[in-house]
Amino acid sequence: MVHHHHHCKEKRPKFCINDHVDVLAEILKRLDGRSLCVAACVCRLWSALARNDSVWEHLCFRHLSPPPPSSVRPVVSALGGYRRLYMVCIRPVLSRLGRSRRAELPWRVRSREELQLSLSLFCVDYYERLGNGSGGGGSRFGDGSASASSSLMFLCKPVNV
Amino acid sequence: MGPFDPSAAAAAAAAAAAAASSSSSSSCSGGSAPKRHHHHHHHHPPPDLDGLLAGAGYKVRSSELHHVAQRLERLETALVNSAAHIPHLASDAVHYNPSDLASWVDSMLSELPSSSFSSPCLPSGFPDPYSPAAAALGGGWVDHPSCSPHPQPHQNVVVPQQPQPQQQQQLTVVTALEEDSGIQLVHALMTCAESVQRGDASLAGSLVEEMRALLTRVDTSRGIGKVAGYFIDALGRRLLGLGSAPASAFENEVLYHHFYEACPYLKFAHFTANQAILEAFDGHDCVHVIDFNLMHGLQWPALIQALALRPRGPPLLRLTGIGPPSPDGRDVLREIGLRLAELARSVNVRFAFRGVAASRLEDVKPWMLQVSPKEAVAVNSIMQLHRLLGSDPPRDPPIGSVLPWIRSLNPKIMTVAEQEANHNRPGFLDRFTEALYYYSTLFDSLEAACPVQPDKALAEMYLQREICNIVGCEGAARVERHEPLDRWRARLGRAGFRPLHLGSNAFKQASMLLTLFSTEGYSVEENEGCLTLCWHSRPLIAASAWQAAPTVVNSPAGVINHDDNNNQLSCSPVPMLSIETDIPSSIQ
Repeated sequence: MVHHHHHCKEKRPKFCINDHVDVLAEILKRLDGRSLCVAACVCRLWSALARNDSVWEHLCFRHLSPPPPSSVRPVVSALGGYRRLYMVCIRPVLSRLGRSRRAELPWRVRSREELQLSLSLFCVDYYERLGNGSGGGGSRFGDGSASASSSLMFLCKPVNV
Repeated sequence: MGPFDPSAAAAAAAAAAAAASSSSSSSCSGGSAPKRHHHHHHHHPPPDLDGLLAGAGYKVRSSELHHVAQRLERLETALVNSAAHIPHLASDAVHYNPSDLASWVDSMLSELPSSSFSSPCLPSGFPDPYSPAAAALGGGWVDHPSCSPHPQPHQNVVVPQQPQPQQQQQLTVVTALEEDSGIQLVHALMTCAESVQRGDASLAGSLVEEMRALLTRVDTSRGIGKVAGYFIDALGRRLLGLGSAPASAFENEVLYHHFYEACPYLKFAHFTANQAILEAFDGHDCVHVIDFNLMHGLQWPALIQALALRPRGPPLLRLTGIGPPSPDGRDVLREIGLRLAELARSVNVRFAFRGVAASRLEDVKPWMLQVSPKEAVAVNSIMQLHRLLGSDPPRDPPIGSVLPWIRSLNPKIMTVAEQEANHNRPGFLDRFTEALYYYSTLFDSLEAACPVQPDKALAEMYLQREICNIVGCEGAARVERHEPLDRWRARLGRAGFRPLHLGSNAFKQASMLLTLFSTEGYSVEENEGCLTLCWHSRPLIAASAWQAAPTVVNSPAGVINHDDNNNQLSCSPVPMLSIETDIPSSIQ
């Protein structure tokens, strides 16, 4: 029976995506945030790939043209990484701003400013986490939840993947 | 004096408040008692008649005081609720003998269709139940300004023989609805403020008590009830001479932080100022920011990050933060400085911090800031300048000395954010009215914007502090002296500053920031180069930017002006991290 198969089809090994990590990464890069989180739950390989920050960087800047300067990457990495940036700032910002579309401004321009605003909020978030982490002095900032800093509570609460 | 039944004392005192003078202990047989043409003035009233009321011209048996008081209250409620009968009653009033209070009130009650109301009555101190026309006006707060000044007990004692025709036309009956309790509250607040302005402390005090009673019938968890509650407390504190409650720096910081989180005002101010500072620093490699109120330094992470992403690379950033000295040996300024330094280090921005601990801004002297002539200076004042407008006479307000030294630093930009309201008018009533409307709007927006507790409650406490200060304090203690943008423009113009227009970037950023808050109602307006944050088109916070106006000096070589061109790349070498804290020796 197996030989019959080999006769009918050309000799081709079974294709498994997990053997082609670079292809997999390219595919994952094109997913939206929610799908990416779902993909991270499939298996360990997919989870590792989905946690790779470059995938999230791609997601953050997908709609931005021209792409942001290279100086952004070290800053974002220092402040917590693109995955966190997306979850804590960009996703809520985009979803909130999406609710009130203003037709006059082109989509691209708004993205750049949205990005800038998101980065600023992200930085405040990092700063507050610094305060939370510094022991007794930081505890006065209220809730001890490490994932969400209090000043960004007005955005939605992020889901930690 | 006739026997005074102690159990009926409260009811009688309330009922007699309008008849006698406002303090029940003073005798009213002095000059203000009316003389009825058919009533003989008794020097010694019959023993069973109540002495105080007899002095006012009314014959009421002491034993009946309680009963009469109750029936008067019922009469009042009945009159309020039966519009159609009032003209009839008013014109028929002369048929009764008002001096025999007991039978008069009984006959009045019998005239009305239904006088059995179980709901609690209006505070009986307010209207005068003895005068038919005035009693019918008891609920008519809507026409308050056109009535005889309210409540003047002495005048209410005079019972008109004929009802005044104009009073009949002004009769507006208001049913006992929640809304109208709100309106009553507002009118009561105005009356109280007016009596405070006139110096009538006893009247104001009794009004505060009555307003507190009114509050029980209003929903104090929202709307006018909540705001009124705060204002009533503030008035109460003023009358007791308590002023604002003293607050520790720690409490201030906690409240400030929650206010920052709960609503967009501070964020709007910070982001707008940062954008202006960023644009002003373009092209400079040594920059120095002076923050007049560091708090937790929440404004600066965003600026540090924006400088880090500058196309030409980040400058050397020096930050001088001014704040109150910390008790118990901690150095809060230094801690904040360390945090900011750590942030700056992670994003590779050369950073130096200096803390200046001063309990009052006017104690800071320019030399403490150690401004170098080669750097571009930005002065940042978020809700701080208005605190310099007050003083105990004969001293001048410190703003007169602070603005010049700011000017002497030759800043590249000064960013100012202030409340857009006029809470510094000399007359108390004007201030009070303005504050009432401003804080009502502010509380409304807080209600809509921030459903999260405990942020909202603490943010409200933050605002309550301001209310207490505006209403309860005077002189140097009253620091919340908000002034509107026009006055600041004039003042800063006189001090040698000229306005710097906030650009469209700042506007777009502010609009986007507001959109992030989950409520409609906020908007950003542009006002001659300044941005104001509005709630339903009522401006609340105004952010503006200023630069030192060039001073022109004539010299043989031509005109020298102080526009600086600080494009030097060589700054004196500064270590990567440098934290210093200075405490001015005049303090401590």
